[in-house]
Amino acid sequence: MTFDPAILADYWPLFLQGAWLTVRICAVAFIVGYSIGILVALAALVPSRIVRALVGAYVGLLRSVPFIIILFLVYYGLPFAGIRFPAYVTGTLALALFASAYYAEIVRGAILSLPRGQFESARTVGMSPLQAMRHVVFPQILRGLVPPSVNMTLTMIKESAVLSSITVAELTYQSLVVQGNTFAPFEAFAAVTLIYWAITVVVARLAAILEARTGTAEREDVERNALAASFLTLEAPKRR
Amino acid sequence: MTPTPPATPLLSVSALRKSFRGTPVLKDVYLDVAKGEVVALIGPSGCGKSTLLRCLTWLDPPDDGFILIDGQPFGRALVGDTVRRQGRREIDRLRPKIGMVFQQLHLWPHLSALENVVRPQVVVLKRPREEAVARAQDLLAGLGLGGLEDRFPYALSGGQKQRAAIARALAMDPALMLFDEPTSALDPELVGGVLQLLRRLAGEGMTMVVVTHEIGFAAHVADRIAFMDGGRIVEDGPARQVMEAPADPRLAAFLDLIRSGRPAA
Repeated sequence: MTFDPAILADYWPLFLQGAWLTVRICAVAFIVGYSIGILVALAALVPSRIVRALVGAYVGLLRSVPFIIILFLVYYGLPFAGIRFPAYVTGTLALALFASAYYAEIVRGAILSLPRGQFESARTVGMSPLQAMRHVVFPQILRGLVPPSVNMTLTMIKESAVLSSITVAELTYQSLVVQGNTFAPFEAFAAVTLIYWAITVVVARLAAILEARTGTAEREDVERNALAASFLTLEAPKRR
Repeated sequence: MTPTPPATPLLSVSALRKSFRGTPVLKDVYLDVAKGEVVALIGPSGCGKSTLLRCLTWLDPPDDGFILIDGQPFGRALVGDTVRRQGRREIDRLRPKIGMVFQQLHLWPHLSALENVVRPQVVVLKRPREEAVARAQDLLAGLGLGGLEDRFPYALSGGQKQRAAIARALAMDPALMLFDEPTSALDPELVGGVLQLLRRLAGEGMTMVVVTHEIGFAAHVADRIAFMDGGRIVEDGPARQVMEAPADPRLAAFLDLIRSGRPAA
């Protein structure tokens, strides 16, 4: 058996088309999924028990089901509601829903990690909850959101391969086509491996730039440490 | 001669109650504070002082009872015979009237000292930015923070942070200022400065409720002392009288404890 690079030379337009569709699907799923995630995270912090129960059910359900099942549920479920989308739209939607549950937990966790007094002091001067989030909470948690969000986004990009099972002609689908036409599975999957790797490297790199650009984290750390220290000294009564 | 009607108190608290998971923390608190009056709220740890301040700002919604700010109901209103709980917007609208300085200050670390004072004015009071900046600069300079406007909270000392937090509250033009143990998070040598500052605010006619352990402040700056114990205000009177002739045995015991606990000054 020999590795035959000629296959890749013949079929590169297919790989390119597949890669481009994967990138577009993931970009849209990221934007839609993260938006839903932020809304769900905010809803999870609302005092109403009913809202919190709904949010808990949403996140719990999406996180407890394999992505391929979510995909099939959406793909075969939507027509019952009389909704017919092209497969790539359904697939993107399912991917966004899947990721949104994890993004919601990331955002919710980051909000809760901020000392509650930050939100409360914003509320006491008269800011609404959303204004407090916008001006006080989110600017402080932004940087901390980047690493876990990147993790989830990379997972999502890889899960997008499952869309090939509902005939979305993304990267993995194209590699299956190439493999079927050429009976050279190793060459096809090796090429796909490289392309997925390239996509994720670009995403990780962009995220690193974003993380470096999101301002004042070091200052915050200093502030947090000082705050932690002051709490500690309060706990231990000063006596000498 | 017509008798002058009694002035409405600036802050009027009646029958305020609050429980946490069935444990009552505030049991029927009554407190009236006249305009320009300074009330020191003292009492043993866990008596409900901080909870009272949190209820007065509606951060912890009281279970029952009424709060009037300058005659306007805050949080809960009596309409005819029925009690109506106000919506969030109504509550938020009155909140700037009540300036709160937290024990831990809770300055916003991602904003400069100036921006800490400017942002709430712009966002909440919809002041034009230039006006808000001018007001913030005035206040910060008046509190001895001139030249430090662009510093971030981490680069301010404990005393400077506290004054920035006070400026943030004052910028909203509050009718009432609440202080939660303003001296307890500070180094001992800074306590004097804070007390002086509170004295100055009092002199300028600001109405204040100060939760404090500084008996000296309570005695010399406050017009009145309210002593809380077990979720109630059990003694309330002119500062001198309360300090020198406590009527309630619990207050007498508390004052003894505090006086014996500190080095003779």
